[in-house]
Parts: sequence; structure tokens; C-alpha cells
Amino acid sequence: MASRLNSRNPHFLPRLWRLNWTLVILLLLISSIGFAMLYSAAGGNWEPWASRQSMRLGVGVVLMIVVALIGVRIWMRAAYFVYAGALALLVAVEAFGAVRMGAQRWIDLKVILFQPSEVMKIALVLALARYFHSLNIEDISRPQYLLVPLLLVGAPVALVIRQPDLGTALLLLIGGGAMFFLAGIRLWKFLVLFVGILVAAPTAWPFLRPYQQDRVLTFLSPERDPLGAGYNLLQSKIALGSGGMLGRGFLQGTQSHLSFLPEKHTDFIFTMLAEEFGLFGGLGLMGLYVLVLLYGVAISIRSQSQFGRLVGMGVTVAFFLYVFINIAMVMGVVPVVGVPLPLISYGGTAMVTLLGGFGLLMSIHVDRDVRMGRYGEPRDD
Amino acid sequence: MLGRLRRGRRTIRPRRHIKPAFAQPCTPIRRDERNDVALETGRTRLLISGTVLILGFAVVGVRLVNIALFQDALEPRAAHAPHASELRMGRADIVDRNGEILATTLQTASLFANPRKILDADEAAHLLVSTLPGLREAEIAAKLKSNRGFVWLKRNLSPRQQWDIIKLGIPGVEFQSAETRVYPHGPLAAHVLGYVDIDNKGLAGVEKSFDTALRSNAAPIALTMDVRLQHLLRIELMAAMSTHRAIGATGIILDARHGDVMAMTSLPDFDPNAQGRASDNQRFNRATLGVYELGSTFKIFTTAMALDYGVVSMEDGYDATKPIRVSRFTIRDYHAKKRWLSVPEIFMYSSNIGSAKMARDVGGDAQREFLSQLGLLSPAPIELPEVGTPLTPKPWRPINTMTIGYGHGLAVSPLQLAVGVSSVVNGGILNRPTLIHRQPESEASNPPPRGDRVMSEETSQDLRRLMRLVVAKGTGGKAAAPGYLVGGKTGTAEKARRQGYNRRSLISSFVGAFPMTDPRYVVLVVLDEPQGTTKTHGFATGGWVAAPVVSRIVEHAAPLLGVGPTDEQAPAVLRQLDIELKPEGRRLASY
Repeated sequence: MASRLNSRNPHFLPRLWRLNWTLVILLLLISSIGFAMLYSAAGGNWEPWASRQSMRLGVGVVLMIVVALIGVRIWMRAAYFVYAGALALLVAVEAFGAVRMGAQRWIDLKVILFQPSEVMKIALVLALARYFHSLNIEDISRPQYLLVPLLLVGAPVALVIRQPDLGTALLLLIGGGAMFFLAGIRLWKFLVLFVGILVAAPTAWPFLRPYQQDRVLTFLSPERDPLGAGYNLLQSKIALGSGGMLGRGFLQGTQSHLSFLPEKHTDFIFTMLAEEFGLFGGLGLMGLYVLVLLYGVAISIRSQSQFGRLVGMGVTVAFFLYVFINIAMVMGVVPVVGVPLPLISYGGTAMVTLLGGFGLLMSIHVDRDVRMGRYGEPRDD
Repeated sequence: MLGRLRRGRRTIRPRRHIKPAFAQPCTPIRRDERNDVALETGRTRLLISGTVLILGFAVVGVRLVNIALFQDALEPRAAHAPHASELRMGRADIVDRNGEILATTLQTASLFANPRKILDADEAAHLLVSTLPGLREAEIAAKLKSNRGFVWLKRNLSPRQQWDIIKLGIPGVEFQSAETRVYPHGPLAAHVLGYVDIDNKGLAGVEKSFDTALRSNAAPIALTMDVRLQHLLRIELMAAMSTHRAIGATGIILDARHGDVMAMTSLPDFDPNAQGRASDNQRFNRATLGVYELGSTFKIFTTAMALDYGVVSMEDGYDATKPIRVSRFTIRDYHAKKRWLSVPEIFMYSSNIGSAKMARDVGGDAQREFLSQLGLLSPAPIELPEVGTPLTPKPWRPINTMTIGYGHGLAVSPLQLAVGVSSVVNGGILNRPTLIHRQPESEASNPPPRGDRVMSEETSQDLRRLMRLVVAKGTGGKAAAPGYLVGGKTGTAEKARRQGYNRRSLISSFVGAFPMTDPRYVVLVVLDEPQGTTKTHGFATGGWVAAPVVSRIVEHAAPLLGVGPTDEQAPAVLRQLDIELKPEGRRLASY
């Protein structure tokens, strides 16, 4: 009995052994790069960023392992509760959130500030995976079954847009869309949606806030306002160019240390890295991210359950979106949206949430051979 | 959704109890067809998604390479290239022909304060004044108490003073670093060097004419000047000026063979380190900008012209018994001999009558041509912005020809006169005067331009003898410097006033050259309105006031210039320079 359990649903200690420790080391490696960059951003100081970020990493890693140790079946059953909790937090933000930098995104717990919208990214993945897992392939193609997942995505997106946080809302939308795609929704439906968005976009333009309009226009031509809205992007590009092949050296970046570069410890930290470690440094970090991504995809493919596959891929997609949008943003490939660079940027919620997500991924890895019925029951048909 | 959730829970619960029954490890896995399709679709889509993610990274990676490596061509890299590494060079130095620094640039600090940051103005003022005793405490305290954000306290501190003030550690007191032009010799060559404004822009002299070169080039500009000669010239002129209570003086030492200006001074002068306090009179460069009727020194040119054109010979002469009347003018002699005078006698006694007649015989056109060849009718081609244009008579009547013959009616700058005289004594070659020293190493490959011949060597030789005669036996005896064979010509001109000339205010001058066997240097001394002294028996003429200055200058300058003394009575010297004054002239006069 014990041996049988080990293969399907191992207990605590054996589970710990079967965790994907390579992935953990990879994540810790990326985080270390993050500490180095925060150390540099503070002008060669652990305070104020690197030290606090390391505490968060500790919290995040503990959370990740705890999540990983919990069986995937339990996660499946808990999926809707997690989602409901995250949605409640979003409503709470709407009701009595803390206003920081002009947006009501944070919940102030006195000790820590945290962003429920970040938690929602993982919660949404869980909830959608749970839902699509319970549908069979014919059901998925029926429109009436799409109503619930659309609502699951729509509610948090609406709340997040109200904060206002367009970037996170887009991430939720794209992440949700990816889940739909992975679940097997017919492609022509995506096409219809895409065309619909293209048609709707011009009508939505007047409803965007002035700063959002500004960002899109600035993205289209950064030189439009080099000292105002386009400043971030121009300085960022200059920094990337100034790094060259091998970079200026650790702690030597002029753009960042002379404070030309805005938000150098948060959203624009990749620029600093690329300036100090050059093209090779930037590509090296991206290589590490790609490795993490490959792990995510591999774990997802290897998973025998649709739930595990969807959650694994959902977490991977969420992670990818962070990395891709952040790096693409600082290089001017996509408009400036407030998306941190995972595990590197200074910021607690995103880091802890993502590590929690990786915990799920590892849980799926451990339980890769667990097959589940429509509602999470073990199945061996 | 909630319905499903409930149903799911309900469904799960009973199954849990029978879970072990399903978990047979060796049970072959059987899938129904529907599940197969779903899994297949799922796997395909998953792989597609994975590929899309990797492609996304590829796009960003390519973009990163593009920006980091190739964007440089499009983005102005210069905008973020470090400019600070380029060392800012100050204005170039000006040195004399021996490399002595005449003008240089120093980094200095100027002291200012932000009164709003000053904590205790009285204490700060006390401390500052104790360190910089030149400041007045009450004034500084008032400045520090003012409501402004910036007050100058003192400009151009020495490093020592700056250090002392830094040590005081008064908050709100700061330094502005600046470049300051410094002239270590003070007023020594003020008019040649000129000066700069507060932004180090050349405003006069060499500083102005070579402003661009001095700014852009770090290499110093070497002048033909020699600090030692300049010092000598200035000291002697100042002494003469004070002895004779002259209102001004100017002197030039010119290399007769190359046109190099070895020394040039104009008095009163000023300190270019503090040019702002100089008066216009001090700034005025009498040597190049001032034009004067220089009087009898012009007889050098008249005589040379007449000899060169063959109008007279050294044996000819003129009747100088009576003043000449031309319309309302009367030309008379100062040292009147009231007899027939030979050409050498006319020169040595400085006869206006004889010179006027000589000029008349040459004629106005020939005179203009000759003077023009000597550069006396156009501004001196010297590398200074302050160059005076000669005043020439218009129209050039016969009376002008006659007065110009003895140096009236044509005003030239002293430099022009010195240059003209150098061409007369050096064998007849006119050299362009210059202030810019040609480095000896480049001299071989780039010899100084040979000047134009303006008279025959014979004429030049005759004039050497005549000028030597003036010092040996004539009006310029006081210019003699034993051993150095000084020759020259005195000049005393009455200054023009609104109508006619003022007998009391004179321009007294002496232009000399030495050694007359082969003149190498021309020395010109001009005194403006000198007064006679008991020592000069009340005379203020060139022979009395200017000639002794030339004598002293030659005595001191010759050793510096490497001109050794010669035996003035040596037969070879006498053969070359002596003129036998024949009494036969009287006979000619009887004609």
C-alpha cells in the first residue's frame, strides 16, 4: 500500500525528495541575479532593496515548497476557493485599498502591502483549469459552457481596470485567453474575438485615461515627448546601447547610477542589468528564463491530468508574460505597462505569488502520473 | 458554477472511500476515444503555446541584440559619450624669443557666497577677513546679510588662500574655478601683448590679433621680443620721461636685417593684469597707432632719395644762407649756418633749407614713389590690431614736398620710421616688420622672406657714413656709445596745433643704428613734449633729450645682442665711414 501510494500520491517526506530541485536551484539563481541588481541599484548597498527582497524570497520559497508538498488533487478541490478568496480581496481593494502612486491597488496590512491583483493571476489559472478539466471535449465547443469561464476572467479584469491597472488587466486577459486556447476552444472563436477587439479598439480609445493614451502614443513614437512620457523609454534605450557587448561592469552603469533611468529597481531593472553586464548579461538572464519556461512546458506535457496540464501551462504562461512584457517594454517592443521582471524586480507580491505558482508547478510534477476524473476523483479507467 | 462545484464535491466524496480499489499499479490504462481526442488536442495546443513562448523570447532577444549592438549608428552615441575625459586646455602662452613667459593662463578660484546658507554673517565675515586681509569686514558682513542667493566676495584667489578658506569650513561659502590670464612681467610689454577681457577674449595687441590661435592651440606663440631689451628700453625711456617731464615716450629696437621687433614700448603704459583700471592714454600705443610728424629724422629719407635718384651727390650742396619763402611759409634752419652747405653738412647740421631744396629738386612724384616704397605712406604691416594710418597731404603740392623733405606735413608712426631707417642702413632692403619669432630650426628650411630692394647699396653706404657723421661730429653727439659706432639722426618737430605749430611742445626723437660698419640694430627713441633741464641748458631737442637715451640703450644692449665693441679709429673703419668735409663748397656758393 505504501509503495503504491508513493507512485501516485506520495506522503510528505518522499514528496520532498521528489520535488524538482533543479528548478528550485534555477529560480534561486535568477533571484540571486536580482539581489545583485538591487544591490547595484542602491549604489552598492544592501539597503533598502536587496535586504528586504531577500526576506521576501525566503517567504516565497517556503510558500513554494509548502504548495508543492500539497497534492495536486487537493489543489484541484481548493481551486474555486482560492479564486473566490482572491476575488474577495480585489473587492476589498476596491472598497478600502491603499492608494499608492495614484492607483488603488494595494491592501495595507500595516506590516506588508500587497497587491491582490497579483494573487489573482494564479487564482484565475487554478479556477479556469478546474473548470476546463471538468468539461469533456464536446462540451468545450458548446457556447453555453463558455459563459462561466468568461465570467471567471471578466470579473477580476473589470475590478483591476477600475484600480486602475491596465497592465495587470491585460495580463489576466491574455493569461485567461491562453487557458481557453489550451483547453481546446475552437480557433475560429479566437479569430472572431480578435477581429472584435480590432473593431472595438477605436471606440474604446476615448475611455482610456489620458496617461494610458499617452503611453500608447508614446509607444508608437517615443521621440514625441523625450522629456515627458517618452523619457523612460529613451533613457532605457540609451542604457541598453551604452552597455554594448560586455557592459560597463557591475556597479558601473552610468544611466542608472546617475539616475537617468527611472524605476531602475523595479520595472526597468533589466535595462540596468543590460547596461552593466551588456548584451551577454541580458541574453544570459533570458537564457535562464527560457530554461524555467522549458521546465514549465515539459512538466505540463508530462502531466497525465488535464488539470495539471492546464495549471502548469497557465503558470508558465503567466511567468512568460511577465518576462516577455517587461523586457519587450524596456526595449520599446510593447508599450510601457507596469509589469515587474519576475524574481528580479523589487516587489513582494509578484515574487511570492510567482513562487507560489512554481510551487503548483512542482506539485504537478510530483503528481504527474495522478489521473483525475471530472471532479478530481482518482481515475484509473 | 456553484452548482457544478456542489455536484463535484458530492461526487468526489463517495469515490474517496473506494479509492484504493482503483489504484492498481499494474492495471493497463485504457482510454476512451473522446479522452484521446481531448488529450491529443491538449498536447498539440500545449506544444504550440510552448513554441509561441519561445518565439516571444526569440523576438525580444533579437531586439536586445539589435539595440545593444546596432542601434548605436542611429542613436547619437556622442550624447552619452564621456566628454569629461577631454582635458580642457587654457589659452596658450605667449613667450619671448628666448622662451621667457610673457603671458600665461592660471587656474584660479573665485570666492562667492550664498547668503541664504550663511548661518552667522558676522562671524563668517570676521573669519573671512582674518584670512583675506584685503577685504573690509563691514562690507563683507553687509554682503552676507543681504537677501540674495549669490554675492561675489573676492575673485582670483591663490591656491593658498583657497585652502585657508576651505579650512575655515564656513557653510554657504563656495568657489568658482576660472581661468585667469596672467602677465608675469606686468606692464613690461603691455602694448605688444595687449590684454583680454574677463572671459579671456583678446581685446588688444597680440592677444587680439592671434586670439583664435591662442584659444585653439596649446603651443605657445613666440614673439621676436627680448624681455631683456624690452626692460632696458622701458627703464631708459621712463627715466628720460621723468627727467624731461615728457607726457609720453616711445621706443623701438628693430633688427635691421630681418625686421624683427626686438623691443617696443609706449609710455605711459599699464598693467595688463589690471587692464580695467588703465586710462585711454595709457592704452594708446604710441609706437604703432600714434602718427607723428617726426621732423628731421625724415632727412635720412630725403637725402637717401636724392642720392639714389642721382639728383645730388655727396659732393654737391645747397645755399642755406637765407630762409626760403614759399607763399606764406618760411623755411628756416634751427642750427643756421647762413652759408653754402654740402650734402653731408646739410645732414649733419640738420638744415631744413638744404633738405627742402633737395626734396624740391627730386620732385613730388618721385618723392611719393620713394616714400611709398619705404612703406611710409601706408599703415605698418605689423601683427597688431593697433596700427595707425599715416597722414599724407592731399593734394601733394610742391610746398608739401619741401616740408616733407625735413619731416613736416607727413605724419607716420614711429614703427614706420624705424622700419624705413632699417632699410636705409641695411644695404637698401626693406623688410616687413614682424613680432612673430621664427624658430631657429625652421629657419634653415624656411628662410625669412627677403625684402624688396628700395635703394642701391651705394646709397645705403653713403647714408651710413652720413648718420655716423651726425653722431661723430654733428647734432647727435650725445648718442655716441664708445666702441659701438652708433650712427643716427636727431629729430625735433613742433607739434601741430589748431593753427600752425607750437614752438613749446616738441616731439623730440633720435633714430640710431649700430654698428655703422654693418648696422644690425636700429634704435628709435621718441619723447613727447619733453622739457629742457639745466643739464641740457634748457634745450629739449632730439639731440639733447633723445640721443643720450639711445647712447645708454646701445651701451647696455650691444653686449646682450652679441655686438662686440670695435676700435672706432681703426683705419678700416675710418676708411669706410669717414667723410672729408671739403671747404670748396664756399666757392660753389659764389656762383
